This record gives sequence, structure tokens and C-alpha cells, in this order.
Amino acid sequence: MSTTASAPLHIDTTPTAPIPFLRLVRVEWRKMIDTRGGRWLLAITAALVLLAFGLTLLVVGLDDAVVSAGVFAQVMAVPLSLLLPVLAILIVTSEWSQRTTMVTFAFEPHRLRVVLAKLVAVVCLALVTLVLALALGALGTVVGAEMIGGEPIWDLGWNDVAWLTGLQLVYLVMGFALALLFLNTPSTVAVYYVASLLLPYMVWGILFSLFDWAQTLLPFLDITYAVTPFQTGNDVMGQPVDTGFLEVLQLLSALTIWVFGPLVLGTLRVLRSEVK
Amino acid sequence: MIKVEGVTKVYGGFTAVDDVSFVCQPGRVTGFLGPNGAGKSTAMRMMVGLTPTTRGRITIGGHAYTDIPNPARHVGVLLDASAQHKGRSGREILNLAAITLGLPSSRVDEMLDLVSLSPKESKRRLKNYSLGMMQRLGIAHALLGDPEVLILDEPANGLDPAGIRWMRDLLKSYADRGGTVLLSSHLLNEVELIADEIILIGRGRIVAQGTKKELLSRDGQETAYVTAVDNAAFAAELARRGFPVEIAGDGLAVGTSPLEVGRAAAESQTVLTDLRSASTGLEDLFLELTADTQRESAVAVQPAPATVGTSNEGVA
Repeated sequence: MSTTASAPLHIDTTPTAPIPFLRLVRVEWRKMIDTRGGRWLLAITAALVLLAFGLTLLVVGLDDAVVSAGVFAQVMAVPLSLLLPVLAILIVTSEWSQRTTMVTFAFEPHRLRVVLAKLVAVVCLALVTLVLALALGALGTVVGAEMIGGEPIWDLGWNDVAWLTGLQLVYLVMGFALALLFLNTPSTVAVYYVASLLLPYMVWGILFSLFDWAQTLLPFLDITYAVTPFQTGNDVMGQPVDTGFLEVLQLLSALTIWVFGPLVLGTLRVLRSEVK
Repeated sequence: MIKVEGVTKVYGGFTAVDDVSFVCQPGRVTGFLGPNGAGKSTAMRMMVGLTPTTRGRITIGGHAYTDIPNPARHVGVLLDASAQHKGRSGREILNLAAITLGLPSSRVDEMLDLVSLSPKESKRRLKNYSLGMMQRLGIAHALLGDPEVLILDEPANGLDPAGIRWMRDLLKSYADRGGTVLLSSHLLNEVELIADEIILIGRGRIVAQGTKKELLSRDGQETAYVTAVDNAAFAAELARRGFPVEIAGDGLAVGTSPLEVGRAAAESQTVLTDLRSASTGLEDLFLELTADTQRESAVAVQPAPATVGTSNEGVA
């Protein structure tokens, strides 16, 4: 080509700083809630939390019995685990369905930083919503006791809060990890709900109560079955369990199948895939 | 400056980009022209690290794209204007980009102003945008970080003639300030209008490259269309001077430059009503390429004698 350069051929990039990690997190957080879909999911979750709050107080009023802080916290956490995982899934899969990966990974070619920023945003979502739900639960405990003139029962220990938080994180990160693995919204949502809700409550329960092999096998495969002994001191059928080495192994096995495994494999897939 | 050296991309047994080398100079608009599926988009994705290369090396301003910190501050990229979240407003799309790049939100307003998207339009969600509005937003997105280099895949697609003129003026003034522009198109006249330099690509290989003028005078065969008041007499005069003459529509097609035809007309005191250069060389070459990719089994393009900046390949 016969051209004369009128500007330097070398671009000096030294004055440019890399994008700070926290800024990436802030962007991913904003992406999670700046679409109509994201706002609806949050609004419905808030409505469900308030509904659970109202229903629990209604039970208190009708039954004339104090609901303890521990029970209130459990009730408040249930609506959170219903729809928030979809946000954790969409923060990954919507980039592929909307093809915005071409922009995201052109802005930050180090894809691992983007994946980690998304993960941190998901963890923040889990923590913020749980704190709000627990605060509402505490309020409910006081209000409920006032309603029937009883004393509030504060039986929510740090251990309970830790397990509640841990489980919230596990389920959100599980949705996130499966999303990285499938990179597709419908299949991720389907697999997530089958694995986290349908199987443990509709299928495993029956097998667990009928077969010895199911009692041996299921705690290795299913997060609910693996976690329950740690959370309550009993297995899912209410039988007392001493948590020892076997139970730790079961927990690690279930978490590897549904959280760590998909997280690692899915991240590798994202790092290696061609973006178009 | 964009430097592409021996870049190849193989998918299984299919070679999408085959040993491509070229340079895009600062201060110029380089047009990447080829039929659909010629490998333009794949090449552009490789430039910004979205697609790994099988072989070869690409540097932008002397760096691999992935080594540039906050790369969008140096390289503006538009690969597909529709590849944005359809549920976000145009303004929100730019807001997200501005936050990522570390720019103030006033920059978003500047860019919206530059591409003539009104405040009302910028609040509309992308799914309600026309193709032309999406392209304008995409240009704003690419220019947001005030980059030295622009890489634009089919930026004029969906623009009306006024929009194409607007884009030409925008990119020309950007290049005049020392910027490097690479844009792709499958439409010859778009590239002719906008680009200073043209790279013709077909079946993953570069077929010709150079300025429009260089490409037109490839083979040394120039053609002029001329219409005289007395065509028959002027045809005889041209033939006497040794130029090949054919009747073409209302006028004549002459196998030489318009300059020679004009000189012949002046010297023979002929009154002309029309005289222009026929850019058949470029168009023929482009059509050959298109035909070649449309009919896989068809006879391949005949290699032309290599002239200025051309390297013709029969079978890709």
C-alpha cells in the first residue's frame, strides 16, 4: 500500500489503567437489575417476602402462639430461594442469548475477571436480600409477640444464620454455575429447578423412605439431603444424625456435583469458547 | 494502526480466513470489501480477541488487543449493532459502557448528540429501534472511549443514503484527525463512498488491495464512457488514434482514460455531452468474487496479471 503515515504507528497505552475489578462488579450488578425482567423478578420476590411475612403474622394471630425468631427467619428465606436464582442464571445466560458477550469481552478481554465480577455480584445479591429478609423476620418476631402480648423468643443463633446464609449462597451459586455450563436460559432454569426443588421434594423423599440404598446414596447426590444433618442435627426424615467424617464427605460430594464442578467446567467453557 | 500478518482461521476442515495480511494506516479509512461469508467478520473478531486465530498475528498500535489495558479507550469496536440487550434503552447501553470505561455520564450525552439520537429516542428500548438507529447507537458505543482506532463491521448496513453520507463525513473527519478506521461491507458502492483504501476479500483470501484508483487501473485497462453530438464521427476519430471503441447505449465505451478521450475531443473539436470514467474493473472483480462464492463448483476466477497491489488466487 502506498500511504504515508500522518500519525504515530505505535499507540502508547501506558497512561491507561486496567478496568478496576470493583468497577466490573458494579457494572454486573447494574446489568442484573436494569432490565424490565430483572426488576420484575426482584419485585415479585419482594411481594412474596411480604406475603410470607403477613401470613406468618396471621398464623400468630389466629393460633395465639408466639412464632420464634428462628422459625420466622426460615419462613422469610423461602421466597428468596424461589426466584433469585433466576437472576443469578440470567446474569450469565442473557449475555449469550442477547449476544452482548461481544461487547462485554471486547471491553474486558480477560474473561475470568468478568466471570468473577458476575460471581461477586451474585454473592452480593444473596447477602443483601438475606439481610433484608432477616431484618423483616426480626421485626415480625417482635410484632408477633406484641400482638398476643407474649415475649419474643430469640432462638436464632449465629450457627443458624451461618447455615441459612450458606444455603442461600449455595443455591444462587449453583444456578450461576449451571448457567456457565449450559450458556442457555431455558435449559439452565429447567435443570436448576428440577435439581433443587422437584427431585428433593417429589422424588428423593419417596425413595429415601422406602429403600436403604437411597438412604446411603442420596446424601452424596443431593444438596438438601447433605446439608440437613448439619443444619438441624437430624436427617430429612427427622432421625437424629451425628455429623462426622461421612457427613462432611456427603456434603462435599453434593456440592462438587452441583456447585464446584459446574463452576469450574463452566468457567473453562466460557474462557475457551469463541464469542460471536 | 492495525497490522495483520499471515492470519488464518480453520474451523474443522473449513478455512474461513486463509493467510491474510494487510495494514490499516492512521489517517485513512480502509474498507474491507467482500461478499457475505468471505471471512470479514471472522477476521474482525480475531482482531479484538473474541475468536482465537489458528495461525498468524494481529497487532493494533503495536499491541495484541488483549494486552491493551481498558482496550475500548484505544480501540472502538462495532461488530454487530443488534448485539445489545433488547430490553435496555439506548441511553442505558451507553451508560453501562461509560461506567465500564470509567467515563463521566456527560460523555454519553455528547455521543448521543454526535450520532443525532434525540433524548426521547435514547430512552426507547432497543427492540423499538430501527436498523438505522441501532447503527447510530453502535457508532456512538464505538466512539465512546475516544479511541485511536475504529473497527466497524458493516456499519452502513441499514442506513439510508443520507445516513451513509453522514457516516462518510464522520469517519473521514475522524481519520483526518489521525484516527485509523477499518470498516467492512458487502456493498461495493458503500465502500467506494467511504473508504480511501480498499481490501477485497473472497473465500477467506485477499484478492486485491489498494486505493480505489489503483484498483481501477489494475490490468492497465481503463474505460471511459463518452457521448458526443456526433458519435459516429467521434468513434472514427478515436479508432484513428488507436483506441478500442464500442457502442454502449447512447454513447461509446472507449478503452482508455477519460483524459485521453478528452484530449481527442479537444483536438478534433468535437462537442461532448458526457464523459466519465467507467469503474467496471472494480465492479467486475467484485461480481466475479460474489459469483464464485455463490456457485461452489463454478469455474474459479481467472487470475489476472499481478499489477499494483494485487495478488490474485484462482481457487481458495
